Amino acid sequence: MTAADPDLELAERVRAGERAAFDVLVRRHQKGMWRLIRRYVKSDADAADITQLAFVRAFRGLTGFRGTATVRSWLYRIAINCALSWLRDHRREQPAEIAEEALVDDNPAPAALAAGDDRARLRKAIAQLPPKQKLVLELRVFDDLSFREVAELADCSENTAKVNFHYAVKRLRDILGGEHAL
Amino acid sequence: MPSEIDPAELLTAYADGIAEITPEDRRRVDAALAAAPGLRDEHAAIAGVLDQLRALPGEGGEPDWAAMERSIRAAVGAEVPRPWWRRWQWLAPATTLVTAMAVLVVVMWTRELATVARPRPVAPAPSKLEPVAAVDDVVALWLDGAEVDIDVGKAAAFAALEPAEDDAAPDDSLLPIDDLAIVDRLDADGLARAEHWLAAAEPRKGLK
Repeated sequence: MTAADPDLELAERVRAGERAAFDVLVRRHQKGMWRLIRRYVKSDADAADITQLAFVRAFRGLTGFRGTATVRSWLYRIAINCALSWLRDHRREQPAEIAEEALVDDNPAPAALAAGDDRARLRKAIAQLPPKQKLVLELRVFDDLSFREVAELADCSENTAKVNFHYAVKRLRDILGGEHAL
Repeated sequence: MPSEIDPAELLTAYADGIAEITPEDRRRVDAALAAAPGLRDEHAAIAGVLDQLRALPGEGGEPDWAAMERSIRAAVGAEVPRPWWRRWQWLAPATTLVTAMAVLVVVMWTRELATVARPRPVAPAPSKLEPVAAVDDVVALWLDGAEVDIDVGKAAAFAALEPAEDDAAPDDSLLPIDDLAIVDRLDADGLARAEHWLAAAEPRKGLK
């Protein structure tokens, strides 16, 4: 519920002219926004730049915030838009996706190798999900958003978000089960 | 109000966040789980996958958050942006003022135009024409079978002979030129007196 949004009061204070309230919002959400953006751009430095840009846009646009969504989902929407815009502008500069296997240490212990292998397969499976299911799954699992916030960001109803989430996990199980079978 | 969604499709949401499921949907999923052992296995498998997903480390190496916060603060600046309508709020009184002034100017201009267009009363210039000589005001009348020329200038005499019938007559001392039928209405006595008076008058323009 918007009434229970813990960031709403901060947003109101910023709108009333209290600059320091925005610093609190930044401290509260910069990690989440950076992680969200990092999943899009594959570069730590680029993710940091885009996070900064997203906060600047949020600060300038806060006067137009209507409170229909939570402040967090509103910030995350800006972050996603900034990331997508950045991707459009830097499409040619993006390196081909590095194979997950290449990210594993050169001489890992057998247990670490197995764990790394599982993680790699899981990430690969997530990458194979349809865009909407992938978005819903990541927002829910990695960003810890409520289904309402997920629905706001995925432009769908809360029930649709729940169903998409179900089919995303089901598909992951199918992908991982198929790979195990191989 | 329960949703129309199949309880099996809500199973992952149920496993991940039971608090976000409506009580009605929760009862439906509970009933489905109680009725179908296969669904209970699926519920357990889903919970396992969710645990695996949450155990995944974040991508990339996390930056220096304090440094990022400082850079954001520097990029954002110290001035809190005001809503666009506050930046333009001077526009309303300014527009009102300009409109009022424009209306005032138009009204004054219109009045000025009206004053210029209206013809000013001009005193009639003294006529330089020579006074026209009096026309020979002789009117031919048919009187008792004979044509009679009557000098209109002698109208006063007729006015005196005719009894005043209309008090509202503008000037009963003059013979009404446009109504010389008065002569026809004279009785014999009046006519005789008139002829007598005309005969006695100086024969300048009288009966000929």
